[in-house]
Amino acid sequence: MINWIGFSTLTYREISRFFSVWRQTIVPGLITSGLYMIIFGLTLQKRISEIDGVSYTIYILPGLIMMNVITNALNNTASSMLQMKLLQQMQDMLITPLSNFEMALAFIIGGTLRGFINGILVLLLGMFLVQMPVEKPLLVLFLLFIVSWAFSSAGLLVGILSETWDNIATILNFFVTPLIFLGGVFYSIDMLPPFWRQISLVNPIYYVINGLRYSILNIGDTSFSISIIMTIFMTIVFTSISIWLFKIGFRIKN
Amino acid sequence: MELAIDIKDLKKSYKNTLALNGIDLQIKKGQFYGLLGPNGAGKTTTIGIITGLVKLEEGSVSIFGKDIIKDFRYTRSKIGVSPQDFNSDWFFSIEKLLLFQAGYYGIPSSNAKPIVEKIMKKLGIYEKRKNKIRSLSGGMKRRFQIAKALVNDPDILIMDEPTAGVDVELRHMLWDYLKEMHKNGKTILLTTHYIEEAEKLCDYVSIINEGKIVSEGKPEELIQSVGKGSIDVELNKMNKSKLDFLEPFKYTLSTKEDMDKIIFSVNNPEKSLPKIIDILTKNNCELNNVRILKPNLEDVFVSLTGRKIND
Repeated sequence: MINWIGFSTLTYREISRFFSVWRQTIVPGLITSGLYMIIFGLTLQKRISEIDGVSYTIYILPGLIMMNVITNALNNTASSMLQMKLLQQMQDMLITPLSNFEMALAFIIGGTLRGFINGILVLLLGMFLVQMPVEKPLLVLFLLFIVSWAFSSAGLLVGILSETWDNIATILNFFVTPLIFLGGVFYSIDMLPPFWRQISLVNPIYYVINGLRYSILNIGDTSFSISIIMTIFMTIVFTSISIWLFKIGFRIKN
Repeated sequence: MELAIDIKDLKKSYKNTLALNGIDLQIKKGQFYGLLGPNGAGKTTTIGIITGLVKLEEGSVSIFGKDIIKDFRYTRSKIGVSPQDFNSDWFFSIEKLLLFQAGYYGIPSSNAKPIVEKIMKKLGIYEKRKNKIRSLSGGMKRRFQIAKALVNDPDILIMDEPTAGVDVELRHMLWDYLKEMHKNGKTILLTTHYIEEAEKLCDYVSIINEGKIVSEGKPEELIQSVGKGSIDVELNKMNKSKLDFLEPFKYTLSTKEDMDKIIFSVNNPEKSLPKIIDILTKNNCELNNVRILKPNLEDVFVSLTGRKIND
Protein backbone atom coordinates (compact mmCIF):
# COMPACT_ATOMS: atom_id res chain seq x y z
CA MET A 1 0.00 0.00 0.00
CA ILE A 2 1.32 3.41 -0.92
CA ASN A 3 1.63 6.21 1.62
CA TRP A 4 -0.12 8.70 -0.67
CA ILE A 5 -0.24 11.57 1.80
CA GLY A 6 3.42 11.15 2.72
CA PHE A 7 4.41 10.88 -0.92
CA SER A 8 2.42 13.94 -1.99
CA THR A 9 3.75 15.91 1.01
CA LEU A 10 7.36 15.23 0.04
CA THR A 11 6.61 15.96 -3.62
CA TYR A 12 4.94 19.22 -2.62
CA ARG A 13 7.94 20.09 -0.44
CA GLU A 14 10.35 19.46 -3.30
CA ILE A 15 8.30 21.65 -5.64
CA SER A 16 7.82 24.41 -3.04
CA ARG A 17 11.55 24.36 -2.39
CA PHE A 18 12.53 25.48 -5.86
CA PHE A 19 9.55 27.80 -6.24
CA SER A 20 10.50 29.55 -2.99
CA VAL A 21 13.79 30.58 -4.64
CA TRP A 22 12.43 31.26 -8.14
CA ARG A 23 15.00 33.99 -8.71
CA GLN A 24 17.65 31.26 -8.57
CA THR A 25 15.74 28.43 -10.18
CA ILE A 26 13.43 29.89 -12.83
CA VAL A 27 14.60 33.33 -13.91
CA PRO A 28 18.33 32.72 -14.66
CA GLY A 29 17.57 30.14 -17.36
CA LEU A 30 15.29 32.59 -19.10
CA ILE A 31 17.80 35.41 -18.97
CA THR A 32 20.69 33.23 -20.16
CA SER A 33 18.65 31.81 -23.03
CA GLY A 34 17.48 35.29 -24.01
CA LEU A 35 21.09 36.46 -24.07
CA TYR A 36 22.16 33.44 -26.13
CA MET A 37 19.39 34.24 -28.61
CA ILE A 38 20.43 37.86 -28.89
CA ILE A 39 24.21 37.54 -28.82
CA PHE A 40 24.83 34.20 -30.54
CA GLY A 41 21.82 34.29 -32.80
CA LEU A 42 21.90 37.86 -33.99
CA THR A 43 25.67 38.13 -34.33
CA LEU A 44 26.43 34.71 -35.81
CA GLN A 45 23.39 34.84 -38.06
CA LYS A 46 25.30 37.30 -40.22
CA ARG A 47 27.87 34.57 -40.90
CA ILE A 48 25.62 31.50 -40.75
CA SER A 49 22.37 32.65 -42.23
CA GLU A 50 20.63 29.26 -42.34
CA ILE A 51 21.08 25.66 -41.32
CA ASP A 52 18.77 23.06 -42.91
CA GLY A 53 16.58 25.84 -44.22
CA VAL A 54 15.91 27.65 -40.90
CA SER A 55 17.52 30.82 -39.58
CA TYR A 56 20.46 30.29 -37.23
CA THR A 57 18.72 32.00 -34.30
CA ILE A 58 15.78 29.62 -34.55
CA TYR A 59 18.05 26.64 -35.22
CA ILE A 60 19.84 27.01 -31.87
CA LEU A 61 16.63 27.38 -29.86
CA PRO A 62 15.79 23.67 -29.35
CA GLY A 63 19.33 23.19 -28.05
CA LEU A 64 18.98 26.13 -25.69
CA ILE A 65 15.69 24.75 -24.43
CA MET A 66 17.24 21.35 -23.78
CA MET A 67 20.25 22.94 -22.12
CA ASN A 68 17.88 24.59 -19.66
CA VAL A 69 15.84 21.48 -19.12
CA ILE A 70 18.89 19.32 -18.47
CA THR A 71 20.77 21.66 -16.16
CA ASN A 72 17.70 22.64 -14.13
CA ALA A 73 16.35 19.12 -13.71
CA LEU A 74 19.76 17.74 -12.81
CA ASN A 75 20.68 20.58 -10.49
CA ASN A 76 17.40 20.38 -8.63
CA THR A 77 17.60 16.79 -7.46
CA ALA A 78 21.37 16.77 -7.05
CA SER A 79 21.40 19.85 -4.83
CA SER A 80 18.26 18.90 -2.93
CA MET A 81 19.61 15.44 -2.19
CA LEU A 82 23.04 16.62 -1.13
CA GLN A 83 21.60 19.44 0.94
CA MET A 84 19.34 17.01 2.77
CA LYS A 85 22.30 14.79 3.52
CA LEU A 86 24.57 17.61 4.66
CA LEU A 87 21.93 19.37 6.75
CA GLN A 88 20.78 16.04 8.18
CA GLN A 89 17.25 16.45 6.87
CA MET A 90 17.20 12.96 5.38
CA GLN A 91 16.71 11.45 8.81
CA ASP A 92 13.38 13.27 9.15
CA MET A 93 12.14 11.26 6.19
CA LEU A 94 13.91 7.99 6.81
CA ILE A 95 12.20 7.53 10.19
CA THR A 96 8.71 7.92 8.70
CA PRO A 97 6.48 5.35 6.98
CA LEU A 98 7.61 6.53 3.55
CA SER A 99 9.21 3.83 1.44
CA ASN A 100 12.54 4.56 -0.22
CA PHE A 101 10.82 4.20 -3.60
CA GLU A 102 8.27 6.88 -2.68
CA MET A 103 11.01 9.20 -1.50
CA ALA A 104 13.08 8.73 -4.65
CA LEU A 105 10.01 9.30 -6.82
CA ALA A 106 9.11 12.51 -4.99
CA PHE A 107 12.63 13.87 -5.55
CA ILE A 108 12.50 12.94 -9.23
CA ILE A 109 9.09 14.59 -9.72
CA GLY A 110 10.37 17.81 -8.11
CA GLY A 111 13.33 17.97 -10.48
CA THR A 112 11.19 16.99 -13.46
CA LEU A 113 8.80 19.84 -12.84
CA ARG A 114 11.61 22.37 -12.54
CA GLY A 115 13.20 21.15 -15.78
CA PHE A 116 9.83 21.09 -17.55
CA ILE A 117 8.84 24.59 -16.42
CA ASN A 118 12.21 25.99 -17.48
CA GLY A 119 11.90 24.27 -20.84
CA ILE A 120 8.39 25.62 -21.46
CA LEU A 121 9.42 29.15 -20.47
CA VAL A 122 12.38 29.21 -22.87
CA LEU A 123 10.14 27.72 -25.57
CA LEU A 124 7.62 30.53 -25.03
CA LEU A 125 10.42 33.08 -24.99
CA GLY A 126 11.63 31.78 -28.35
CA MET A 127 8.11 31.86 -29.77
CA PHE A 128 7.72 35.42 -28.54
CA LEU A 129 11.18 36.83 -29.32
CA VAL A 130 12.04 35.21 -32.64
CA GLN A 131 8.67 33.79 -33.73
CA MET A 132 9.90 30.22 -33.51
CA PRO A 133 7.36 27.82 -35.04
CA VAL A 134 6.37 24.65 -33.15
CA GLU A 135 5.63 21.92 -35.64
CA LYS A 136 4.63 19.07 -33.29
CA PRO A 137 3.49 20.58 -29.98
CA LEU A 138 2.46 17.33 -28.27
CA LEU A 139 5.73 15.70 -29.15
CA VAL A 140 7.55 18.76 -27.82
CA LEU A 141 5.69 18.49 -24.50
CA PHE A 142 6.41 14.77 -24.31
CA LEU A 143 10.12 15.29 -24.98
CA LEU A 144 10.43 18.12 -22.49
CA PHE A 145 8.78 15.93 -19.88
CA ILE A 146 10.75 12.77 -20.49
CA VAL A 147 14.11 14.57 -20.72
CA SER A 148 13.31 16.45 -17.51
CA TRP A 149 12.53 13.11 -15.88
CA ALA A 150 15.72 11.49 -17.20
CA PHE A 151 18.00 14.25 -15.96
CA SER A 152 16.12 14.69 -12.72
CA SER A 153 16.87 11.00 -12.10
CA ALA A 154 20.47 11.58 -13.15
CA GLY A 155 20.58 14.45 -10.67
CA LEU A 156 19.31 12.17 -7.93
CA LEU A 157 22.09 9.76 -8.79
CA VAL A 158 24.64 12.57 -8.63
CA GLY A 159 23.18 13.78 -5.30
CA ILE A 160 23.36 10.29 -3.81
CA LEU A 161 26.94 9.76 -4.93
CA SER A 162 28.14 13.22 -3.92
CA GLU A 163 29.43 14.02 -0.49
CA THR A 164 30.39 17.65 -1.04
CA TRP A 165 29.23 20.55 -3.24
CA ASP A 166 32.53 20.19 -5.02
CA ASN A 167 31.53 16.71 -6.21
CA ILE A 168 28.38 18.11 -7.84
CA ALA A 169 30.25 21.01 -9.41
CA THR A 170 32.84 18.62 -10.82
CA ILE A 171 30.20 16.45 -12.47
CA LEU A 172 28.36 19.46 -13.88
CA ASN A 173 31.42 21.36 -15.09
CA PHE A 174 33.54 18.52 -16.38
CA PHE A 175 30.91 16.15 -17.76
CA VAL A 176 27.42 17.57 -18.21
CA THR A 177 28.22 21.04 -19.59
CA PRO A 178 30.78 19.79 -22.16
CA LEU A 179 28.36 17.06 -23.28
CA ILE A 180 25.60 19.66 -23.74
CA PHE A 181 27.81 22.02 -25.74
CA LEU A 182 29.17 19.15 -27.81
CA GLY A 183 25.65 17.82 -28.33
CA GLY A 184 24.89 20.16 -31.20
CA VAL A 185 23.25 23.06 -29.40
CA PHE A 186 24.88 25.64 -31.67
CA TYR A 187 25.60 23.62 -34.80
CA SER A 188 24.56 20.71 -36.93
CA ILE A 189 26.88 17.73 -36.60
CA ASP A 190 26.89 17.61 -40.40
CA MET A 191 29.12 20.70 -40.16
CA LEU A 192 31.77 18.72 -38.24
CA PRO A 193 34.69 16.74 -39.70
CA PRO A 194 33.92 12.95 -39.89
CA PHE A 195 35.93 12.08 -36.76
CA TRP A 196 34.14 14.61 -34.52
CA ARG A 197 30.84 13.65 -36.10
CA GLN A 198 31.39 10.05 -34.97
CA ILE A 199 32.32 11.29 -31.49
CA SER A 200 29.10 13.31 -31.32
CA LEU A 201 27.08 10.20 -32.08
CA VAL A 202 28.15 8.59 -28.78
CA ASN A 203 27.04 11.65 -26.82
CA PRO A 204 23.57 10.83 -25.44
CA ILE A 205 22.69 14.52 -25.12
CA TYR A 206 23.05 14.91 -28.86
CA TYR A 207 19.99 12.67 -29.33
CA VAL A 208 17.71 14.61 -26.96
CA ILE A 209 18.60 17.88 -28.71
CA ASN A 210 18.14 16.31 -32.12
CA GLY A 211 14.76 14.89 -31.03
CA LEU A 212 13.51 18.25 -29.84
CA ARG A 213 14.82 20.04 -32.93
CA TYR A 214 12.86 17.60 -35.05
CA SER A 215 9.69 18.09 -32.97
CA ILE A 216 9.92 21.88 -33.09
CA LEU A 217 11.43 22.56 -36.53
CA ASN A 218 10.86 19.30 -38.36
CA ILE A 219 14.58 18.99 -39.13
CA GLY A 220 17.32 16.79 -37.71
CA ASP A 221 20.72 15.23 -38.35
CA THR A 222 19.69 11.76 -37.22
CA SER A 223 16.46 9.77 -37.45
CA PHE A 224 13.85 10.85 -34.91
CA SER A 225 13.16 7.22 -33.95
CA ILE A 226 16.77 6.76 -32.86
CA SER A 227 16.56 9.96 -30.81
CA ILE A 228 13.40 8.79 -29.07
CA ILE A 229 14.81 5.32 -28.40
CA MET A 230 18.00 6.82 -26.94
CA THR A 231 16.02 9.26 -24.79
CA ILE A 232 13.75 6.54 -23.41
CA PHE A 233 16.73 4.24 -22.85
CA MET A 234 18.55 6.98 -20.92
CA THR A 235 15.44 7.69 -18.85
CA ILE A 236 15.07 4.03 -17.91
CA VAL A 237 18.76 3.66 -17.01
CA PHE A 238 18.99 6.82 -14.88
CA THR A 239 15.67 6.18 -13.15
CA SER A 240 16.45 2.55 -12.36
CA ILE A 241 19.93 3.20 -10.99
CA SER A 242 18.93 6.19 -8.87
CA ILE A 243 15.90 4.43 -7.38
CA TRP A 244 17.95 1.30 -6.72
CA LEU A 245 20.69 3.27 -4.94
CA PHE A 246 18.04 5.06 -2.90
CA LYS A 247 16.42 1.75 -2.04
CA ILE A 248 19.61 0.20 -0.73
CA GLY A 249 20.36 3.42 1.16
CA PHE A 250 23.73 3.93 -0.55
CA ARG A 251 25.43 6.91 1.15
CA ILE A 252 22.05 7.74 2.68
CA LYS A 253 21.82 5.34 5.59
CA ASN A 254 24.78 4.57 7.83
CA MET B 1 3.04 -7.41 29.63
CA GLU B 2 3.15 -6.55 25.94
CA LEU B 3 6.58 -5.66 24.59
CA ALA B 4 6.82 -2.30 22.86
CA ILE B 5 10.35 -2.91 21.60
CA ASP B 6 11.99 -6.30 21.36
CA ILE B 7 15.62 -6.35 20.27
CA LYS B 8 17.43 -9.62 19.80
CA ASP B 9 21.13 -10.17 19.26
CA LEU B 10 21.75 -6.89 17.47
CA LYS B 11 25.17 -6.61 15.85
CA LYS B 12 26.57 -3.79 13.81
CA SER B 13 30.00 -2.74 12.67
CA TYR B 14 31.35 0.33 10.90
CA LYS B 15 34.34 -0.59 8.75
CA ASN B 16 36.62 -2.28 11.28
CA THR B 17 34.86 -1.04 14.41
CA LEU B 18 32.32 -3.23 16.17
CA ALA B 19 29.60 -0.79 17.27
CA LEU B 20 27.08 -3.30 18.63
CA ASN B 21 28.07 -6.72 19.82
CA GLY B 22 24.89 -8.67 20.45
CA ILE B 23 22.43 -6.29 22.07
CA ASP B 24 19.27 -7.74 23.63
CA LEU B 25 16.63 -5.36 24.96
CA GLN B 26 13.04 -5.95 25.92
CA ILE B 27 11.11 -2.76 26.57
CA LYS B 28 7.64 -3.18 27.94
CA LYS B 29 4.70 -1.08 26.88
CA GLY B 30 4.43 1.97 29.13
CA GLN B 31 7.95 1.70 30.45
CA PHE B 32 10.30 4.67 30.82
CA TYR B 33 13.44 2.94 29.71
CA GLY B 34 16.89 4.39 29.98
CA LEU B 35 19.84 3.37 27.86
CA LEU B 36 22.79 4.66 29.77
CA GLY B 37 26.32 4.69 28.52
CA PRO B 38 29.29 6.83 27.59
CA ASN B 39 29.72 8.46 24.19
CA GLY B 40 30.45 5.84 21.56
CA ALA B 41 28.92 3.01 23.59
CA GLY B 42 26.36 2.14 20.91
CA LYS B 43 23.26 4.03 22.10
CA THR B 44 22.72 6.09 18.95
CA THR B 45 23.44 3.12 16.69
CA THR B 46 20.83 1.06 18.55
CA ILE B 47 18.30 3.83 18.14
CA GLY B 48 19.31 4.29 14.50
CA ILE B 49 18.55 0.66 13.77
CA ILE B 50 15.19 0.76 15.56
CA THR B 51 14.12 3.82 13.59
CA GLY B 52 15.50 2.87 10.19
CA LEU B 53 18.35 5.37 10.05
CA VAL B 54 21.00 2.70 10.28
CA LYS B 55 21.06 -0.52 8.28
CA LEU B 56 20.38 -3.65 10.28
CA GLU B 57 23.19 -6.17 9.86
CA GLU B 58 22.48 -8.99 12.28
CA GLY B 59 19.71 -9.67 14.76
CA SER B 60 16.11 -8.56 14.81
CA VAL B 61 13.99 -5.70 16.10
CA SER B 62 10.22 -5.83 16.63
CA ILE B 63 7.86 -3.04 17.54
CA PHE B 64 4.68 -4.29 19.19
CA GLY B 65 5.46 -7.71 17.72
CA LYS B 66 6.03 -6.50 14.14
CA ASP B 67 9.35 -6.64 12.36
CA ILE B 68 10.94 -3.26 11.57
CA ILE B 69 11.95 -4.34 8.06
CA LYS B 70 8.91 -6.31 6.88
CA ASP B 71 6.35 -4.06 8.54
CA PHE B 72 8.26 -0.79 8.43
CA ARG B 73 5.16 1.31 7.74
CA TYR B 74 3.46 0.01 10.87
CA THR B 75 6.52 0.12 13.11
CA ARG B 76 7.62 3.61 12.04
CA SER B 77 4.12 4.98 12.49
CA LYS B 78 4.31 3.89 16.14
CA ILE B 79 7.57 5.69 16.84
CA GLY B 80 8.53 9.33 17.31
CA VAL B 81 12.22 10.18 17.38
CA SER B 82 14.11 13.13 18.72
CA PRO B 83 17.65 12.73 17.38
CA GLN B 84 20.67 13.92 19.27
CA ASP B 85 21.96 16.21 16.53
CA PHE B 86 20.08 19.24 15.27
CA ASN B 87 19.35 19.43 11.60
CA SER B 88 18.66 22.53 9.57
CA ASP B 89 16.61 23.77 6.65
CA TRP B 90 17.15 26.86 4.52
CA PHE B 91 13.73 27.17 2.97
CA PHE B 92 10.83 26.60 5.35
CA SER B 93 9.54 27.90 8.67
CA ILE B 94 9.45 25.53 11.62
CA GLU B 95 5.66 25.40 11.44
CA LYS B 96 5.83 24.31 7.80
CA LEU B 97 8.48 21.72 8.64
CA LEU B 98 6.28 20.25 11.37
CA LEU B 99 3.34 20.09 8.95
CA PHE B 100 5.57 18.33 6.42
CA GLN B 101 6.69 15.90 9.10
CA ALA B 102 3.09 15.09 9.97
CA GLY B 103 2.40 14.63 6.25
CA TYR B 104 5.17 12.05 5.90
CA TYR B 105 3.36 10.06 8.58
CA GLY B 106 0.23 10.15 6.45
CA ILE B 107 -1.59 12.84 8.42
CA PRO B 108 -3.51 15.19 6.10
CA SER B 109 -2.62 18.86 6.40
CA SER B 110 -6.09 19.81 7.70
CA ASN B 111 -5.76 17.33 10.60
CA ALA B 112 -2.11 18.15 11.22
CA LYS B 113 -2.62 21.89 11.69
CA PRO B 114 -4.35 21.76 15.11
CA ILE B 115 -1.97 19.02 16.29
CA VAL B 116 1.09 21.02 15.31
CA GLU B 117 -0.30 24.18 16.87
CA LYS B 118 -1.00 22.39 20.15
CA ILE B 119 2.49 20.88 20.31
CA MET B 120 4.17 24.19 19.50
CA LYS B 121 2.22 25.92 22.26
CA LYS B 122 2.99 23.18 24.74
CA LEU B 123 6.71 23.34 24.00
CA GLY B 124 6.86 27.12 23.92
CA ILE B 125 7.82 27.56 20.26
CA TYR B 126 4.50 28.87 18.94
CA GLU B 127 5.72 32.46 18.88
CA LYS B 128 8.66 31.37 16.73
CA ARG B 129 6.53 29.37 14.29
CA LYS B 130 7.35 31.57 11.29
CA ASN B 131 11.09 31.43 11.98
CA LYS B 132 13.56 29.22 10.20
CA ILE B 133 15.60 26.74 12.20
CA ARG B 134 18.86 28.63 11.83
CA SER B 135 17.43 31.65 13.64
CA LEU B 136 16.49 29.61 16.74
CA SER B 137 18.59 29.37 19.87
CA GLY B 138 19.98 25.99 20.95
CA GLY B 139 17.18 25.50 23.45
CA MET B 140 14.51 26.38 20.89
CA LYS B 141 16.07 24.01 18.41
CA ARG B 142 15.86 21.25 20.99
CA ARG B 143 12.18 22.02 21.61
CA PHE B 144 11.56 21.94 17.86
CA GLN B 145 13.37 18.61 17.66
CA ILE B 146 11.07 17.19 20.31
CA ALA B 147 8.00 18.70 18.62
CA LYS B 148 8.92 16.82 15.46
CA ALA B 149 8.96 13.58 17.42
CA LEU B 150 5.43 14.21 18.64
CA VAL B 151 3.54 15.17 15.46
CA ASN B 152 2.38 11.61 14.77
CA ASP B 153 1.23 11.07 18.36
CA PRO B 154 3.52 8.03 18.68
CA ASP B 155 3.06 5.21 21.18
CA ILE B 156 6.83 5.01 21.55
CA LEU B 157 9.00 8.06 22.02
CA ILE B 158 12.69 7.67 21.40
CA MET B 159 14.75 10.48 22.87
CA ASP B 160 18.41 10.49 22.01
CA GLU B 161 20.17 12.72 24.54
CA PRO B 162 17.21 15.12 24.65
CA THR B 163 18.79 17.48 27.14
CA ALA B 164 22.28 17.61 25.66
CA GLY B 165 23.48 21.19 25.55
CA VAL B 166 20.42 22.80 27.14
CA ASP B 167 20.36 25.02 30.21
CA VAL B 168 19.19 23.78 33.59
CA GLU B 169 15.80 25.46 33.35
CA LEU B 170 14.96 23.89 30.02
CA ARG B 171 16.31 20.56 31.18
CA HIS B 172 13.86 20.53 34.07
CA MET B 173 11.03 21.67 31.83
CA LEU B 174 11.80 18.84 29.40
CA TRP B 175 12.00 16.34 32.24
CA ASP B 176 8.56 17.42 33.45
CA TYR B 177 7.22 17.15 29.92
CA LEU B 178 8.64 13.66 29.46
CA LYS B 179 7.20 12.60 32.81
CA GLU B 180 3.81 13.88 31.69
CA MET B 181 4.10 11.96 28.41
CA HIS B 182 4.97 8.84 30.32
CA LYS B 183 2.05 9.34 32.66
CA ASN B 184 -0.20 9.58 29.61
CA GLY B 185 0.84 6.11 28.59
CA LYS B 186 3.74 6.65 26.19
CA THR B 187 6.58 4.18 26.18
CA ILE B 188 9.78 6.17 26.33
CA LEU B 189 13.26 5.06 25.39
CA LEU B 190 15.76 7.60 26.60
CA THR B 191 19.45 7.53 25.89
CA THR B 192 21.60 9.68 28.06
CA HIS B 193 24.98 9.97 29.64
CA TYR B 194 23.55 12.16 32.41
CA ILE B 195 23.30 9.98 35.47
CA GLU B 196 20.84 12.25 37.21
CA GLU B 197 18.53 12.20 34.20
CA ALA B 198 18.38 8.43 34.10
CA GLU B 199 17.85 8.17 37.87
CA LYS B 200 15.12 10.80 37.94
CA LEU B 201 13.12 9.64 34.94
CA CYS B 202 13.62 6.00 34.17
CA ASP B 203 11.88 3.08 35.78
CA TYR B 204 14.22 0.63 34.08
CA VAL B 205 17.78 1.12 32.93
CA SER B 206 20.22 -0.76 30.76
CA ILE B 207 23.86 0.12 30.94
CA ILE B 208 25.63 -0.14 27.63
CA ASN B 209 29.36 -0.13 27.13
CA GLU B 210 31.43 -0.93 24.07
CA GLY B 211 28.41 -2.24 22.19
CA LYS B 212 27.23 -4.57 24.92
CA ILE B 213 24.60 -4.41 27.64
CA VAL B 214 26.63 -4.84 30.80
CA SER B 215 23.76 -4.63 33.28
CA GLU B 216 20.06 -3.89 33.45
CA GLY B 217 17.38 -3.46 36.03
CA LYS B 218 15.44 -0.89 38.01
CA PRO B 219 17.75 2.00 38.94
CA GLU B 220 17.37 1.38 42.68
CA GLU B 221 18.11 -2.32 42.26
CA LEU B 222 21.22 -1.59 40.23
CA ILE B 223 22.38 0.92 42.83
CA GLN B 224 21.75 -1.54 45.64
CA SER B 225 23.69 -4.18 43.77
CA VAL B 226 26.91 -2.14 44.10
CA GLY B 227 25.99 -1.55 47.71
CA LYS B 228 28.33 0.86 49.30
CA GLY B 229 27.41 4.31 50.34
CA SER B 230 29.00 6.34 53.08
CA ILE B 231 28.33 8.76 55.91
CA ASP B 232 31.01 11.38 56.49
CA VAL B 233 31.03 12.84 59.96
CA GLU B 234 33.22 15.76 60.97
CA LEU B 235 33.66 16.22 64.71
CA ASN B 236 35.77 18.08 67.22
CA LYS B 237 38.84 16.29 68.42
CA MET B 238 37.91 13.12 70.19
CA ASN B 239 39.65 10.75 72.47
CA LYS B 240 41.08 8.22 70.09
CA SER B 241 41.94 5.74 72.84
CA LYS B 242 38.27 5.13 73.48
CA LEU B 243 36.89 4.18 70.11
CA ASP B 244 35.55 0.73 71.06
CA PHE B 245 32.00 1.95 70.59
CA LEU B 246 32.66 2.25 66.83
CA GLU B 247 33.51 -1.43 66.51
CA PRO B 248 30.17 -2.51 65.01
CA PHE B 249 30.90 -0.23 62.02
CA LYS B 250 33.25 -0.29 59.13
CA TYR B 251 34.97 3.08 59.17
CA THR B 252 38.10 5.08 58.49
CA LEU B 253 39.34 7.86 60.72
CA SER B 254 41.35 10.85 59.59
CA THR B 255 42.54 13.98 61.31
CA LYS B 256 42.81 17.41 59.83
CA GLU B 257 43.96 20.41 61.86
CA ASP B 258 41.60 20.58 64.84
CA MET B 259 39.00 18.22 63.36
CA ASP B 260 38.52 14.49 63.13
CA LYS B 261 36.71 12.93 60.26
CA ILE B 262 35.11 9.51 60.31
CA ILE B 263 33.88 7.94 57.09
CA PHE B 264 31.40 5.15 57.75
CA SER B 265 31.01 2.67 54.96
CA VAL B 266 27.40 1.46 54.92
CA ASN B 267 25.01 -0.27 52.53
CA ASN B 268 22.07 1.99 53.19
CA PRO B 269 23.25 5.40 54.42
CA GLU B 270 19.78 6.79 55.17
CA LYS B 271 18.91 3.80 57.33
CA SER B 272 22.22 3.78 59.19
CA LEU B 273 22.38 7.52 59.84
CA PRO B 274 20.18 7.72 63.02
CA LYS B 275 22.04 4.80 64.60
CA ILE B 276 25.46 6.37 63.94
CA ILE B 277 24.43 9.80 65.26
CA ASP B 278 22.90 8.16 68.30
CA ILE B 279 26.08 6.26 69.16
CA LEU B 280 28.34 9.26 68.56
CA THR B 281 26.30 11.60 70.75
CA LYS B 282 25.95 9.00 73.48
CA ASN B 283 29.74 8.81 73.53
CA ASN B 284 30.08 12.56 73.91
CA CYS B 285 31.34 13.30 70.42
CA GLU B 286 30.74 16.86 69.24
CA LEU B 287 29.40 16.69 65.69
CA ASN B 288 30.22 19.54 63.34
CA ASN B 289 28.99 18.27 60.03
CA VAL B 290 27.32 15.16 58.65
CA ARG B 291 27.21 14.28 54.98
CA ILE B 292 25.55 11.34 53.29
CA LEU B 293 27.11 9.97 50.13
CA LYS B 294 24.68 7.65 48.40
CA PRO B 295 25.77 5.38 45.57
CA ASN B 296 24.33 6.22 42.16
CA LEU B 297 24.26 4.78 38.69
CA GLU B 298 27.69 6.26 38.10
CA ASP B 299 29.01 3.93 40.80
CA VAL B 300 27.21 1.08 39.12
CA PHE B 301 28.89 1.98 35.85
CA VAL B 302 32.30 2.30 37.49
CA SER B 303 31.93 -1.03 39.27
CA LEU B 304 31.00 -2.70 35.99
CA THR B 305 33.49 -1.10 33.63
CA GLY B 306 36.23 0.32 35.81
CA ARG B 307 35.79 3.85 34.39
CA LYS B 308 33.49 6.82 34.76
CA ILE B 309 30.64 7.32 32.32
CA ASN B 310 31.75 10.75 31.16
CA ASP B 311 35.47 9.96 30.94
